[in-house]
Amino acid sequence: MEVEALQKAQEDIMSETTPLFDEFGRCLPTGLSSHAHQKTRRYFLIDKPEIDYAASYQRLNQAFAISDALSQEQFEKRVSSILDGIANDESMKAILNGVKVPFILPKALYDDIGHAMDTVYLPAVASAFHTSFPKYEFKNHSANALNGQLKVADNSRHQNVLEQMASDVVVGVYFPCLLEYSVPAAVERISSLPKQFSLAGGFDTSAAFISMPNLLLRKEGYPPLLWLSGLASVEENVAYHYEAYGYDLNFNRRVHLGQVAEYWASGITVTS
Amino acid sequence: MLNLAAEQSDNVLSADELAKREGLRARKPYVAEKLANIYSMEERGEISPIIRLEKSYLCNFQCTHCSAEYYMDRHLEKVLHVKEDRQQIDLENIRDISRQADELGLARFVITGGEPLVMRDLDDVVAAIDPDKHYVILDTNGWFLDDAKAQHLKSIGVEKIQLSLDSIVEEEHDEFRNKKGSYKRVMRAIDATIGAGLNLLLSTVLIRGQPKTQKFLDLCQFATDKGVGLYVSYAKPTGSCTDHPEFVIEKEDADVLRQLEKDYNVFTHMTPSYGSHKGCITVKGIITVTSSGEVTPCPYIDFSIGNLFETPLKEVLDRGMRNPWLGPHRPDCLIGEDPKFIKIHTEKTAGATHLPLPWGKGFSDNDSLTD
Repeated sequence: MEVEALQKAQEDIMSETTPLFDEFGRCLPTGLSSHAHQKTRRYFLIDKPEIDYAASYQRLNQAFAISDALSQEQFEKRVSSILDGIANDESMKAILNGVKVPFILPKALYDDIGHAMDTVYLPAVASAFHTSFPKYEFKNHSANALNGQLKVADNSRHQNVLEQMASDVVVGVYFPCLLEYSVPAAVERISSLPKQFSLAGGFDTSAAFISMPNLLLRKEGYPPLLWLSGLASVEENVAYHYEAYGYDLNFNRRVHLGQVAEYWASGITVTS
Repeated sequence: MLNLAAEQSDNVLSADELAKREGLRARKPYVAEKLANIYSMEERGEISPIIRLEKSYLCNFQCTHCSAEYYMDRHLEKVLHVKEDRQQIDLENIRDISRQADELGLARFVITGGEPLVMRDLDDVVAAIDPDKHYVILDTNGWFLDDAKAQHLKSIGVEKIQLSLDSIVEEEHDEFRNKKGSYKRVMRAIDATIGAGLNLLLSTVLIRGQPKTQKFLDLCQFATDKGVGLYVSYAKPTGSCTDHPEFVIEKEDADVLRQLEKDYNVFTHMTPSYGSHKGCITVKGIITVTSSGEVTPCPYIDFSIGNLFETPLKEVLDRGMRNPWLGPHRPDCLIGEDPKFIKIHTEKTAGATHLPLPWGKGFSDNDSLTD
């Protein structure tokens, strides 16, 4: 028992002092048995967007009608609280060097994640994208096809986000920092990160796109594909994702087979 | 090349496309079945690349942007003063490639070159591929494609013609192709192809800045009005284009073209189609077999992933899919857009006389994205 306690204490010390993210905010792929690139040439990237709280709040309120439960000021305060908490932790603070997207999720409890994506979240992304970029297109290649198709991925901690949603409006920050990770590696990595980190799934990632519809709009280079790794498909080796197609935004599914690609990334969510 | 996923799924098919598929099912049920299986193969993580077959590089044109120029005897002998001394594929080899491809579920061959219609043994090549087992496409400049030739091609089992058209302006096309009269021949070939009941695809090379020009829009409109797809190939910094780096596109060109796909019947090798979103199709969607039996992962990459005289097709494909540049999903064109890979390719091929570079000299199992 003493040995175990000692080991745990050592692990705690390590986790407090060892950086978990590189200088660009990428989550370091440490100790993984699943596929992830150890080194990156930083080719598929998201341009760091400026946070415009007023614009994000307006779009999120348009989508989820949360103004009665949460003001813009409260939104900003809660996001700042999340960011400050991370900034004060030596091992975590480098994640702030990367892309971060504040978002709000409504208080809601869903029987079927896929149905909620079909009826609430994907139409809301479509609306936010269309309003921001009327010349471009949001294309949902799985339109009305998600009923019964999605569940929380085991060990992804994504259940934490859904449980919070069940009790209150949720404020969070989305970090697409698992660059060049396979889907299984993203799940594996989250289990060794501090407890406040959850793997992003459908609602939080969609809310991030509502908050910043331009997240994957990149004119000078290609952005990565963003998996919803916090969710598992009922089909083996299939997962869902957002992806740019030129100036357009796509939602789609594809077979991943546990493989890694330079182009593939997943996101982490931290909620207040 | 053809609209890669057009044969993959019957989802969201136009009436015209559906009729074509039903026609193929009636005439060539085995081929139709294989094409229909491609979608499920992809769902299992298997690949079904089109095989471009370059048996001969003989050509009656000398185009400004030709990717095969450096493979041609005229270049080897007149420019480099060397001979092609490598073993050349023959009809028996093609029969064997066809058999291996069939065993892997592959379903499509493009006969290219060079100019296929100057090949004396073209009919034998089509027969060796076996049009009852594979969907056969012919990639031609159209110079010799009149009514009689189109009907003949249909009669020997060719299903589709891919015809090069580089501008809707006659003088520009002829200048780009370095062949006066070639535009008129393309127009004749379009009518001949349609008249013979062959499927038709127009192909054009896209150079930097072109997608925003009215002339390019006119070309897109022409194809759309004809009811024919316009396949757009980015100019790559290889072959004759090595001397024209200014042709190589920028991301904006690719993105403008992606927008044009909504308004015109125009597409690239990376355009999603019928549920298939491959991105760059190296190995996954296409390979080229050169006259020396080398397999390249794309028509414009002069690095081999294996030689079919030495290595079975399956092993060559597996090797390609393991390669970090070639196997993983990516949205951009590796040889047309990735500066690091273009640099590696340019440096390794500089001074080479016999292309492609064999396995181990260009690509190898030690390749890394970050080294």
